Amino acid sequence: MNQNVILQIAGLYKRFGDFTALHSIDLKVHDGEFLAIVGPSGSGKTTLIRLFVGMDEPTDGTIWLRGQRIDTVPANQRPTCMVFQSLALFPHMTVGQNIEFPLKIRGMKPAERTARALELLDLLRLPRSYHGKRIHQCSGGERQRVALARALAFDPEILFFDEPLSALDYRLRKTLEKELKDLHARTGKTFVYITHSLEEAMAMSDRIAIMRAGKFEQIAPADDIYNRPVSRFVAEFMGEVNLFPLTVEESGAASAGSFTLPPRATARFGLVAGDPATLMVRPEYIGFVGAGTETEPDLSVRGRVLNEFNLGSRFQYEIEAEDGQRLTVETQRDERFGGAIGDTVTLGWAIDHCHVIRGE
Amino acid sequence: MNPTRLTRAGLLAYGILTLAFLYLPLVAVGFASVSKSRYLSFPIRRYDTGWYAEALASDTVRDLLLISLKVAGIVTVVSMVVGFFGALAFARYHWRFRGLFQKLILLPIFFPQTVLGLALLMWFNAVDIVPSWHTAVVAHLVWISPIATLIIAIRAYSFDPTLEEAARDMGCSTLQILREITIPLLMPGVVSAGLFAFLLSWGNFPLSLFTTGADSTLPEWLYAKMVSGYSPLVPTVGILTVAGSAALLAVALIAPSIVRMWRRTPQA
Amino acid sequence: MERLDRRLGALCATPMLLLLGLTFLAPLVVVAAFSIMPEKVFDLWHQPDFSAYVEVIRQGYWTSVAWALGMALVATVILFLICWPLAYAMAKVYRRFTLVLTIGVVLSLFVSENIRLFGWVLTLMKGGLIEGHLRAWFGTGFDGLLYNVPVIIFGLVYVYLPFMLFPLAQGIAMIPDDARQAAYDLGASRRRVLWEIDLPLAAPGIVVGGLLTFVLAAGAIAESKLLGGQAVIVIADDVETAFTYGQNWPLGSALAMVLIAIIGSIAIVGVSRIDLDAIMGRRR
Repeated sequence: MNQNVILQIAGLYKRFGDFTALHSIDLKVHDGEFLAIVGPSGSGKTTLIRLFVGMDEPTDGTIWLRGQRIDTVPANQRPTCMVFQSLALFPHMTVGQNIEFPLKIRGMKPAERTARALELLDLLRLPRSYHGKRIHQCSGGERQRVALARALAFDPEILFFDEPLSALDYRLRKTLEKELKDLHARTGKTFVYITHSLEEAMAMSDRIAIMRAGKFEQIAPADDIYNRPVSRFVAEFMGEVNLFPLTVEESGAASAGSFTLPPRATARFGLVAGDPATLMVRPEYIGFVGAGTETEPDLSVRGRVLNEFNLGSRFQYEIEAEDGQRLTVETQRDERFGGAIGDTVTLGWAIDHCHVIRGE
Repeated sequence: MNPTRLTRAGLLAYGILTLAFLYLPLVAVGFASVSKSRYLSFPIRRYDTGWYAEALASDTVRDLLLISLKVAGIVTVVSMVVGFFGALAFARYHWRFRGLFQKLILLPIFFPQTVLGLALLMWFNAVDIVPSWHTAVVAHLVWISPIATLIIAIRAYSFDPTLEEAARDMGCSTLQILREITIPLLMPGVVSAGLFAFLLSWGNFPLSLFTTGADSTLPEWLYAKMVSGYSPLVPTVGILTVAGSAALLAVALIAPSIVRMWRRTPQA
Repeated sequence: MERLDRRLGALCATPMLLLLGLTFLAPLVVVAAFSIMPEKVFDLWHQPDFSAYVEVIRQGYWTSVAWALGMALVATVILFLICWPLAYAMAKVYRRFTLVLTIGVVLSLFVSENIRLFGWVLTLMKGGLIEGHLRAWFGTGFDGLLYNVPVIIFGLVYVYLPFMLFPLAQGIAMIPDDARQAAYDLGASRRRVLWEIDLPLAAPGIVVGGLLTFVLAAGAIAESKLLGGQAVIVIADDVETAFTYGQNWPLGSALAMVLIAIIGSIAIVGVSRIDLDAIMGRRR
């Protein structure tokens, strides 16, 4: 992927009366990338996307598209397009008329328009016969594809997506995630996708930007966000996690309550006495230590099994450590815990799988 | 919890009785219109359609019909246009005085129509306008265009504003959005508002009473005859105006399916 | 977009505001101005005085005000009672019949009010549809049912039925079935459900229906004239008489102002309490 910046924002502010929806945010979107903006509801992601496409105006700050200021350009003159959560397909037009609509507005001749619409139907793998269909005759997945075709019709610089999959059922959502990722690869367009679903963002995007209370918390590739979150918020937002507050002592060892981090580990993380820090381990890296385990794990904790949850592809356990801290552990199906609820067990994991979040 | 069959049957009977109650007086007028005798008395002894022939041949009735048609026609067109934009301001856009606007629109509907007609008469007098059927158009509009607005507003409420946003995002100007999206989608509401406007204007009497000047509409003439003594033409002309409304409604109800059939044929 | 919304909203409201300003508010100002003119003048170039209002009080016009309001109140209460079961059935019980009833009732509105009332005259008068047939079949007639106060109220109930029925049905349709179901489930009797769930949740519809019928009935003229004969005179009738036979515009205006003040204050108080967006089915 080339690293040309296609969209850049600087110092973007948005206030609604007394409420500040966006607090001076900066962002660079690379040409051709699939960027997901993820955040809980109310974090400002919808406000941000509405500023991008020009449906709202920023209170302060600048938006550049390929080096040109666009925050003062009206929505209908921006070379960007948005796929709405409701899809916003025009119910009084056929599939073909919907797809051709932006071309008609730009004054393209009917014959050319139709040819382009048919190409787009091919691109989205919809039968060409759909050109004359009514919107209400299409299924949910088909409507999604029509909306995509319409958004691509006038060859916009960037496509914005406002949670278009959130209203669909699980299976269809999974299928469309794959198709969307595939469409991104085939068209080479820049996609900016907002969602509250971590799963959706992880499945499709090159980079993820996490939003919280009108600011970006972290912007990084999906793996980094998952394994090396910069804050407790990101760690907890990106799925199940075990967090242990650390107290680093003069000796170099760090106490995490029910276990102690040896000095070589604290040295590796660059921690010195008095640093506030939290140790993070994802549940899938923790295993049960039994008689059959060949090597001693780097870190271990004893605790009691409180509950087992069947997640389908995995099993999840809730464990109470001796100091009362609750841990979440996940195993593959073939590594299912053999004992009973209430059993005392030893859990172990490797230092390599730990990550330290600095700060309070 | 769910109503029993007996309750259902009772409520259905109640509904049918209500309809009968609403239409009973028209039945009486209908019978009276085909009574041969000059002085009406039930039960009717001899039936005759002579009064219809007389009414249809009458120049007075033709003039009244023409004026009623002109008034209703103009009221329909104007209230459709004003009501369309009014409904957008009422239901679609969030603007500063929307709440106030919504309430202002309701006031004329609540207002006693006779008093409104008199107030208009004084207003026309104060600005030196001689009342004629033109001023009656204005009087009808005061009451009918708010109703048209409400009817279109119901449609505008169920209209998804992201459709307009999407159109703008794809490059539409405000006027293009209006032409391509808003008008086609609100059209059913506008058409039914027009229908209401025509029929309400056609049948309105209290607003016309003081505002037509020397001209007269059908309902006005009927009222004048009713209070000044019985004329055998009253039930006849009354039934004719009702028949006119009914015919228009029938056309309005059947037209959409004819249009649909006609549209389908060339494609097949 | 918010700024655009605001601009377009004001722009779209302009034609209606111009229309209502010129043909509704301006005439009301003229009425108010005429009401403070001296007796029997036909223009506004006179020294204002309050002689017309003095006349209103001195001539005892309050009886016609009382008649109008009293009959409107009775008609409204009767309409509420007879429309509630019907509106309930339209919203919750009938299926296709709701459409039939709606169309039937709306169609009746398109027939000129005076033709329908005239039909009742033909039905109820001596020698009319009812009395005439009774006499022909059983040999005994009666004096006809017209020209009294109850028949005027009957006329009001007849004419304003749609204005109670539709708002009530709309209000009842807003009651979620879940809430009623839950109330039964929690042990409420039918009467308790009516009292605790139906009436409070349908309140917006009840307010609109009650307000519409009361206000329209209070300003009605044709019912008392056509059905009531001269049994009682209502205020709107007085207004008309002052303008036509009396040729006293200031007196008519003063009487009109009294009527406008009463109806206007009721309408404004009522209207300001209802959320039109909720009643008319806003999606956002």
